[in-house]
Amino acid sequence: MIAQLTNAGALPSLEMTMRFAAQRQRIIAHNIANFDTPEFVQKDASVEGFRATLDRAIAQRRRRTGGMHGELAWRETRELRHAPGRGLEVVPGTPVGGVLAHDRNNRDLERTMQDLAETTAAFRVAADLYRAHRDVIHSAIAERV
Amino acid sequence: MWGSLDISTSGMIAQRTRLDVIAANLANRDTLVNAKGEYDPFRKRIVHFASGDPAAASPAGRRLGVHVAAIEIDENALRKKHDPDSPFADANGYVDVPDIDGVTEQVNAMAAARAYEANVVAAEAIKSTMAQALRLLA
Repeated sequence: MIAQLTNAGALPSLEMTMRFAAQRQRIIAHNIANFDTPEFVQKDASVEGFRATLDRAIAQRRRRTGGMHGELAWRETRELRHAPGRGLEVVPGTPVGGVLAHDRNNRDLERTMQDLAETTAAFRVAADLYRAHRDVIHSAIAERV
Repeated sequence: MWGSLDISTSGMIAQRTRLDVIAANLANRDTLVNAKGEYDPFRKRIVHFASGDPAAASPAGRRLGVHVAAIEIDENALRKKHDPDSPFADANGYVDVPDIDGVTEQVNAMAAARAYEANVVAAEAIKSTMAQALRLLA
C-alpha cells in the first residue's frame, strides 16, 4: 500500500524526467565550458530517445497495472543506462550538428544555450508537478489521521 | 548535481585566464626590455584549453569541465620596425618589436567575454535546478 503511494500516477515518470534533465544539464554545461577547446566535439543526449523510452515504459506499466501505480520498467538504450543507486545514468552519444570551426570544435552557441534553457525549464516543470502531486498525497494522508 | 557547478566554474576560470593573457598581450604591445632592463621584446602569449578539470573537487568535475593546458609563448611573434634612433636598432636601423595585433586581441577578448557569460548562464541554470530539487525536500 505504501509503495503504491510513492509510485502512484505520474510520480515515477516525473522522477525519471528530473533525473534526465539534471544530467543533460550537466552535459550541456560541459559543452559550454569547452566552447574554445580545440578539437572538442560536442555530444548531447537525445531528448527524442528519452521520450520514446519513457513512452514505452509508461505504456508497459499501463498494461501491467492499469497505469494508476507501479514502477517504470524501462529498457536500457545506448544513452540511457541503469545505474545502481542512482536509477538513471545518461551517457551522451548524440553528435551535435554544429559546423567545425578552424580549431575543429563544432560549437553552436545559440543552439546550446537554447538546449540549456529548455532542459532547465523541463526540470522546473517536472519538479513543480512532482511537488503538487506529493502535496495531494500529503493532504489525503492528513484527512485520514 | 553538485559536480555540475564545478563544470561551469572551470569554464569561467579558463576564460578569465584567457582574458588575463589577452590583457597582458595588449599591455605589452610596445615593451622592448624585460624586468632586468635587458633588450628582450615581449612575445605574445597564447592560451590553450583542454577538456577535463584536474583541480575540481568532485570526480564528475574532474572528468568534465575544462582547464588551461598551457600558456604558450610565441617566440616568432616579432616584427621589424624601422627606428634608427632607438638604442636597440641594428646596423640597418631596424628594431625587433612585439608583433601583437590590437584588433585580433580585442576580438579574442570579446569571444572570451561571451564564453565567460555563457558559463555564468549555465551556472545560474544549475543553481536554479539545485534550488528546485532542494524545495522537494522542504
